Amino acid sequence: MAEASLIFILLERILSIFTDELINIPLINPAVEMLLKIPFLNVIVAFILWKPIFHVLILPGLIGMTLVLLFIIYFERKITARVQWRVGPKEVSRRTGGVIQALADGMRYLFQEVIVHRDANAFYFLQFPLISFLPVLLPLLFIPAGGTYGIRTIYTIPAALALISLIPVFIVAMGWASNSKFAYIGSVREAFMYFAYEIPFLLAVVAMIVLYQTSDPFEIVAKQWIPGAVMNPVAFLVFFITVLIATSRLPFDIPEADQEVAFGPYVEYSGIIFGLVMMLPYEKLYLLSMISVILFFGGWNGPEIAILGDLAPVIYLYIKTIVFMCVVSLARSIYARYRLDQSLRLGWGVVFSMSMIALIISVGWMAWLRL
Amino acid sequence: MVKVVKSPKDGLIRSAAGHLRAITEVAKVVVSPGTITVHYPRERRKYPENFRGMIMFDMDECISCFRCAHICPANAIQMYPDAEGRYFPGIDYAKCIFCHFCVDSCPTAALKQSKIHDVAYRDVDSMNVSPEQMNTIPEIVREDSVTVEYDFEKDIQLVRKKEFENLLVEVEKPERPEFKAVPQYGENCIGCRLCMFSCPVNAIKSKLEETKVILETDYERCTGCGICVRICPTEVLILTPIEREGDHQ
Amino acid sequence: MKEYSLDISVTPPKEYESYFVPVPKEFLEDAYRSDDFVVFTGPQHGGSGHMRLIIRVKGDFIVEVIPDPGYVHRSMEKLAENRLYIQNIPLFERPSIIDFGNYNLGYVRAIEDALDIEVPERARYLRTILAELGRIGTHLYDAGILAVFLGHTTGFMWPFALREYIVEIFTRITGTRITGSFVVPGGVRRDVDEKTLDMIKRMLNALEFRIKKFERVFIRNPTTIARLKGVGTLTKEEAVDYGVVGPFLRACGVEYDVRVVEPYEAYDEIDWDVVIGEDGDGYTRFLVRVEEVGQSINMIRQLVDNLPEGDVLSDSIISFNRKDIRGSFFEAYADIVLPEGEYTTLTEAARGTLLYSVISDGESTVPYRVRIVTPGWMYLKGFMEACKGHRLADLQAIYGSFGYFPPEADR
Repeated sequence: MAEASLIFILLERILSIFTDELINIPLINPAVEMLLKIPFLNVIVAFILWKPIFHVLILPGLIGMTLVLLFIIYFERKITARVQWRVGPKEVSRRTGGVIQALADGMRYLFQEVIVHRDANAFYFLQFPLISFLPVLLPLLFIPAGGTYGIRTIYTIPAALALISLIPVFIVAMGWASNSKFAYIGSVREAFMYFAYEIPFLLAVVAMIVLYQTSDPFEIVAKQWIPGAVMNPVAFLVFFITVLIATSRLPFDIPEADQEVAFGPYVEYSGIIFGLVMMLPYEKLYLLSMISVILFFGGWNGPEIAILGDLAPVIYLYIKTIVFMCVVSLARSIYARYRLDQSLRLGWGVVFSMSMIALIISVGWMAWLRL
Repeated sequence: MVKVVKSPKDGLIRSAAGHLRAITEVAKVVVSPGTITVHYPRERRKYPENFRGMIMFDMDECISCFRCAHICPANAIQMYPDAEGRYFPGIDYAKCIFCHFCVDSCPTAALKQSKIHDVAYRDVDSMNVSPEQMNTIPEIVREDSVTVEYDFEKDIQLVRKKEFENLLVEVEKPERPEFKAVPQYGENCIGCRLCMFSCPVNAIKSKLEETKVILETDYERCTGCGICVRICPTEVLILTPIEREGDHQ
Repeated sequence: MKEYSLDISVTPPKEYESYFVPVPKEFLEDAYRSDDFVVFTGPQHGGSGHMRLIIRVKGDFIVEVIPDPGYVHRSMEKLAENRLYIQNIPLFERPSIIDFGNYNLGYVRAIEDALDIEVPERARYLRTILAELGRIGTHLYDAGILAVFLGHTTGFMWPFALREYIVEIFTRITGTRITGSFVVPGGVRRDVDEKTLDMIKRMLNALEFRIKKFERVFIRNPTTIARLKGVGTLTKEEAVDYGVVGPFLRACGVEYDVRVVEPYEAYDEIDWDVVIGEDGDGYTRFLVRVEEVGQSINMIRQLVDNLPEGDVLSDSIISFNRKDIRGSFFEAYADIVLPEGEYTTLTEAARGTLLYSVISDGESTVPYRVRIVTPGWMYLKGFMEACKGHRLADLQAIYGSFGYFPPEADR
């Protein structure tokens, strides 16, 4: 009996840890209260609804991200088709207009053979696509969403950006492990592109941090009674262009230019592993969009909805992020691809000087507000 | 007489204007797309009457003249004999390139075009269609109830009509006089009688007069297929246009 | 930049021997020893077409490009020797996709030269309309390929949609989408009715309306200009030396167009301009073709307006119903025998000068020999030379700006 009571006390203790920071959604509160009365199950329910776990795993974390990725791929194809006088994906589930097209593609990838070619370093070749989820999911821990958050520090934005900027390292490593000529060229291009965007990108973020005088997103969002994009449009423009470069969207689709280097670092991948690596730029886009919404579009600000409680700000952030991603995905149908040297020149020339101007504007704002 | 094209000058403002133009144009298209897609199995593109689709064959009209088989650039037409020894064309759709030289060669419009362009066969062997099968329309599973026709005004217009399109085309006989094989240069005849044996309708008769063979054509029967003309080694027979009664006004 | 070289014995990987690489072993060894990179592009590559390009790059710069064409060789000239003269018409239009008008026209004119056939006025105008429609179609196709090589997917889809306009007209005239086989010795296969002629004019208006959109999104797009301007430049002398033809020669500033030099069909009866460029770079090559589309539209308008009434088939070919060949095709063409001799015609096809040389022995119903020199083959050398010294990423831009089309070159 002693052991049983010990386990019971332990569970009670764990449950109390979770229930301290349980997400508060009035809409489902009766159901949650009922579930919390059931022994053992209450721990699981409380764990899922515990703010950090809810944040990382459900919304805007893993499950939310998966849904966004499935949607944004469908949306990108559909909007590109609309621009290009076509119809786009339609035949998979005709009634819904082909919404589950991306899911169907994923299923296909799942049943395709994963080929590891002879010259590849098989261990790293298979490992990198999987562990590249680390720099994708870890930043989510830092980026808060109003009601929910993973880790709350005042260094949120720098920490998240530091983790995001690990992604190119993984891409270069994938190219190295592929041991193929096109993968090699693609990796070199990826490394160069990293140089092209990173400094203007960070300067744009620094400009906004200088403007708000804090890097704590809760304060940043609270201070945005007018959106940051209006206060410092130059910083936003720089951020937007660097997001395009960072996620290798057209016109900066240089590392994975399929007509030139046949998907560059990912050329040797097949099957579900290819599906995973192709998700990587989209995942990066999701994270960067979220940061951009926090910095420039008032984050989770919005009219309060009582019935959703803590969930309302999360949903505001989520929807704003999706809208931002949709705008970014339109760039694909407007532009041709720049050459590597041209985008380097652009990054170090126009965009870099624009980021300096953004910094000056921020300093100007700050000085004006102080007076 | 000579027009020189020049590439535009560089410049930040020019380039920014170019970006702006491209973005506004795409934004305009997003708002009002110019989609020209025809949703094929559910809609059917309306093709003109002279569309070169599958070739239909009318055995009653055929005069077994072999012209289609001879003219075919892809050697896709094979002549199959029937019980009476007459030959009819069958098309191997694995080889056919749809140039419709055979249709244009057919003097009696026995071969005619249709608008059928979507037929699937089980295997390559069944693509070799016999004359009997060419008589019948292939079984088509049609999901379409709407026809789409491209029309142009200021912009392209997709004219959608709710109608079930008939894929078969009514073809009139080509305008040409009736030809008959006339044994015009009888003095050349060497008496081999290849013409007689080759005639699919037994229209040519031969008579032996002393040592000379006299050919005679039964003009009632002769279809003007010209096989005898092509087979004659000494060019005795000539295809001659016959003016039918009633043609004169 | 100072270069250092290490004298290390390097052997290229064994795989090169089994790849059937058409370059000497010494070339590969030399490339390996001098620290160059040999990249094999194609034939299964998004940016190579049906051709293998063996590219030797130093850093990011192309030192040499060795083409390995022939993947779509169909031995067209040999096939032609076993077919009747008339049966070669569907064969010879195969190298081009939509440019059947010009491809048929060259061959048919050679036969007409040999047999002294006078083509009726209306047929000559109709043939010219077909040829110019094919030219627009081909230029749109090439613009689409150029766009997709630059990664511009909208620029790829729009010309292909616009090409559908041309295909629609072809369907109305010939009954088929792209392989018309419509031009025959002595005229065209059948007359075109008023409704179709009216539609051609309306189609041209609709085409111009959407080409303006295409111009804003792709042709004048700053990214396109950045990728193509100053890339793959050929000077006037180089272009002439390497035997570049067609719009690509005119883009280098040479005023040569077969339609002007040796006018055929109705080209000397209408008013049009030869389009030339000055710079000879990729963007000028593209612009010349864009402008040629405008010229072709202008030409077709004039041809349709001034289309004379009358027969479409010569009376030496057919003695009755000279409006439609149906029913008499066999009598008219099956037994063509050309007099002994060699008959050569030059045609300005969409991608450049097209030469047909028909040799007849004077007694058989099949040609003794047919020689086709397609423009694709002629400017391959210029394309290879234009790539030198540019970046690896420019290869596809130069490829697209030449509109190189392997099926045409390989025949």
